Amino acid sequence: MREIVTIQVGDFANFIGSHFWNFQDELLGLAEDDGADPIFKNNFMDMDVLYRTGLTHQGAYTYCPRLISIGSQGSLGTLSSSGSLYGDSSSSDATDTLTWKGAVTKLAENPREKNLFLKSLSEEGEDDPNIEDKDRVQCLERDIKFWSDFSKVHFHSKSLYELNGAWTDFQNFDNFGDGKEVLLGGLHMEELNDRLRFFVEECDHVQGIQCTVDDSGGFSAVASEFLENIADDYTNIPVLLYSVRDTFSYTDATKQRKLITRSLHDAVSLSKLSTYSSLIVPVGLPSLGGLAPSLCVRDEKNFHSSAVYASAIHSISAPFRFKPAGPISNTTYAAGSLDIGEIIHILAGQNRQNMVAILDVSMPAPSLSDKANPGGILNSFHALGTEIGDDSEDLYMDESLILNGALFSGADWASVSQVKDSICNVYDKGLRAKPRPSHLSISLTPLPIPLPFPSIFPTTTGRRGEILADQPLEGPPKGSLEVESVPVMTRLRSSISIKPFIECRYNNLLRHGMLRGAKGAGLLRDWGFGKDEVDDMGEHLSKMLRIFNPSSEMTSDSD
Amino acid sequence: MSIRVLNPNAEVLNKSAALHMTINAAKGLQDVLKSNLGPKGTIKMLVGGAGDIKLTKDGNTLLKEMQIQNPTAIMIARTAVAQDDSSGDGTTSTVLFIGELMKQSERCIDEGTHPRFLVDGFEIAKRATLEFLEKFKTPVVIGDTPDKEILKMVARTTLRTKLYEVLADQLTDIIVNAVLCIRKPEEAIDLFMVEIMHMRHKFDVDTRLVEGLVLDHGSRHPDMKRRAENCYILTCNVSLEYDKSEINAGFFYSNAEQREKMVAAERRQVDQRVMKIIELKEKVCSGTDKNFVVINQKGIDPPSLDLLARAGIIALRRAKRRNMERLVLACGGEAVNSVDDLTEDCLGWAGLVYEHVLGEEKYTFVEQVKNPLSCTILIKGPNDHTIAQIKDAVRDGLRSVKNTIEDEAVVLGAGAFEVAARKHLLDNVKRTAKGRAQLGVEAFADALLVIPKTLAENSGLDTQDVIVSLQNEHDQGTVAGLNHHTGDPIDPQMEGIFDNYSVKRQIINSGPVIASQLLLVDEVIRAGRNMRKPA
Repeated sequence: MREIVTIQVGDFANFIGSHFWNFQDELLGLAEDDGADPIFKNNFMDMDVLYRTGLTHQGAYTYCPRLISIGSQGSLGTLSSSGSLYGDSSSSDATDTLTWKGAVTKLAENPREKNLFLKSLSEEGEDDPNIEDKDRVQCLERDIKFWSDFSKVHFHSKSLYELNGAWTDFQNFDNFGDGKEVLLGGLHMEELNDRLRFFVEECDHVQGIQCTVDDSGGFSAVASEFLENIADDYTNIPVLLYSVRDTFSYTDATKQRKLITRSLHDAVSLSKLSTYSSLIVPVGLPSLGGLAPSLCVRDEKNFHSSAVYASAIHSISAPFRFKPAGPISNTTYAAGSLDIGEIIHILAGQNRQNMVAILDVSMPAPSLSDKANPGGILNSFHALGTEIGDDSEDLYMDESLILNGALFSGADWASVSQVKDSICNVYDKGLRAKPRPSHLSISLTPLPIPLPFPSIFPTTTGRRGEILADQPLEGPPKGSLEVESVPVMTRLRSSISIKPFIECRYNNLLRHGMLRGAKGAGLLRDWGFGKDEVDDMGEHLSKMLRIFNPSSEMTSDSD
Repeated sequence: MSIRVLNPNAEVLNKSAALHMTINAAKGLQDVLKSNLGPKGTIKMLVGGAGDIKLTKDGNTLLKEMQIQNPTAIMIARTAVAQDDSSGDGTTSTVLFIGELMKQSERCIDEGTHPRFLVDGFEIAKRATLEFLEKFKTPVVIGDTPDKEILKMVARTTLRTKLYEVLADQLTDIIVNAVLCIRKPEEAIDLFMVEIMHMRHKFDVDTRLVEGLVLDHGSRHPDMKRRAENCYILTCNVSLEYDKSEINAGFFYSNAEQREKMVAAERRQVDQRVMKIIELKEKVCSGTDKNFVVINQKGIDPPSLDLLARAGIIALRRAKRRNMERLVLACGGEAVNSVDDLTEDCLGWAGLVYEHVLGEEKYTFVEQVKNPLSCTILIKGPNDHTIAQIKDAVRDGLRSVKNTIEDEAVVLGAGAFEVAARKHLLDNVKRTAKGRAQLGVEAFADALLVIPKTLAENSGLDTQDVIVSLQNEHDQGTVAGLNHHTGDPIDPQMEGIFDNYSVKRQIINSGPVIASQLLLVDEVIRAGRNMRKPA
């Protein structure tokens, strides 16, 4: 078995994670449920890759995500940081204090109230016949403040870590310096390393670390320090990193100072995170309006946008857990098994050593036999990152394609061979220049839509995510009560399209931080970077750019 | 005002308003922490919105939890926390002292004194107090075998302010022995060599010192022994798992057979490493009743575990990096990075190695080591917040012992120093100050009394009675501190109440600096700048 350890850093990363684990939980539930469609029986997927089996002191078995989630203090909402399974005998009764016989003052915050959905999980509201699932779905649409508000998963007591810094204002935790500061003098890293060790030690053979980082602010620094420790301690474990951002982080900065801070943060963040990971995938759009008409996402809701990103990340992680079935893994349910090390090798280890990949998604993916779309389903992709250029001319492109539960026509799922044929067809007919080693993974299991999934599907979406012809185009969006599952297709590509993204950050670092008299040079000093370190970051970014320059071997400097 | 021109949104407070704002903030912070001080203070239980509990009597922890907004309070809190970072204690005292300095100043300022004079007086008083501290301190001869009794008294003084007496006294011996265990002559004490480990245990509150190490993991093979005596310990950082990334170059296999071959070749390399360890084991153990334990920082995969188990070796993987160092200090031998050229000299020794399982948590005890230079304090408690609080107290206790050894001095506690220093300032120093700076010296001297006063107040005693009787004792030339049970003067030396010299020194040093800065603020401008950051 090849285990994956998942790490989530920052609030938006935890929003995505919350959806991600809801999908896993849904899959586990459907596999046990005799009434569920046999496609969810899932015997080709090994959930132990992401989950671990544990035992409480009381002797009860637990099955929890192998996860470390880092958030700011107070970001857990109604969830206790020690989870609910390993409940200790804590009582908030002040007279129970064992360590002090003198006076005890109790300072209690008002207990946070659980919403209808969370109440139904903890069985407080189960008995109330007046509350239907419809009300629960609506309450989630109305009011989500914390990622835990829509989470239905039980977490291990070592999984949730709240970062507290005495002087840190987490409302304005928006740059790399803030993140470095919060780690100063504390034992945060010590504790995080210990927790990670707990999860890694019990693994027989870790295939990699899957890490989601909200890199729009200080959490980027937290993550890069954590990843640096990981790189030191676990030399050969590959790290697949998603650097994610919510739509709010793209709000235009009006003041010049703010603008410089932000552009330097972005540059530093990319440089640092890419130093300590094996493949980095920027995810996050200023607006998800471009995904219409297949999805109707409200940009102002992190609950919505994170659901889309989580679906894509879930889809990519599917082939990491196909059970091995001999050297060439081919079952009737799945094909194209891949581990984290391999996908990184495909994308970042071959033609070009470009380690910044682009994530594209198509959700719900159109059916394979869609006549209206002769270019094939490969034209339905939307990139989930910004500053992406054109790569139609790129001869050195590498890509990996993953299909989850593709539909053949109507609401009928396609078989593995049907999927393979259709995709090959697209390439054979020359409808698309085939990038050289491209990899195809197929899983017949579609993305299950759990109850706490936002209502983001257009009215024309059917139960299996198919397009219904006879539906009115107008109407409220459909959600988890109307749609059971959707086909999802994702692609990771490593191509020249990412050049503008890196270039912009490199130029900003140069302009605002490195040139003589640069306005942000002082800022970088405040963040604790010496001149040498800034130069190193600049060199690192310029190296990442140079690989796109075919003549780069000749010239040593490409600015 | 010009700032209005520059930024119309700026809010400006004039001189007296600014001063009162800062003074009030300082007093407010003082009020919050006041009840913490001393062995009769109150403990605070913080309950979060999701029911998470934190228990603390430590000013430092409390300041960090409070999410302070007021810029003056933040400045004071930062100083106090920095105090804790550098000397391990004294946060509450620092906050109280600064608050009291501001309070005393307020009185003078209200009577028309310019803050400048007070600041000058503070400076004179500070210097004089530091000089006085040099004379007042009790030197401690450390040498090769430090006086354990005095170390215990210092540790006990600290611990009794954090934990109730029985628990504190139990920890005192443990902490002193732990520091003495890791102490190497001629070298600075590295407290990281004391591992603090905890176990959650239903009803038990217990702490013990393990001379040796407790690791928070166990062997991962069912056939390995759970208990072994007379063990050689191999501490290593060698990968014993088959690592595909090393043959990444051969990623695309043309056929299954080729792939199998690659895998087999790579596997063989790992096996060879394991065999070298087994060879050494055979060499040193065969024909004896000795055992062999491998503690590896890197991974060990199931096939390697199998081989080791069959050879009768106990193997632990993914040991903490710092434990590599601790293991060598505890058991001897050396940490090896390669299994080539392994000899018996690389090996450490432990009389007993055994595993303890609690639910899914495993602990491995490495005990009965020969010359331990590293040890473990094992804390048992029924829930996380109790454990956390004991852990904090243990850390403070360790720091106090370390400070004593490094300071080679202690200071009489229970408020004795403060009363004596005040007397010295009023009798000898005040008249040397010029003009109105005398007021500053006097304010400083009175502010010192905040420590004995608060101790008395927290014990439910009459503050004035206590201060008067303490001052009488000092006037008669006896050094006296406060008995927090009766309120009578006591001799701290007899009672064994000692504070750290370096902690006291720092409180006296940093308190007036911050107070002076705050007093000299004559305008507060709020212009939307983030005040939480230091400029």
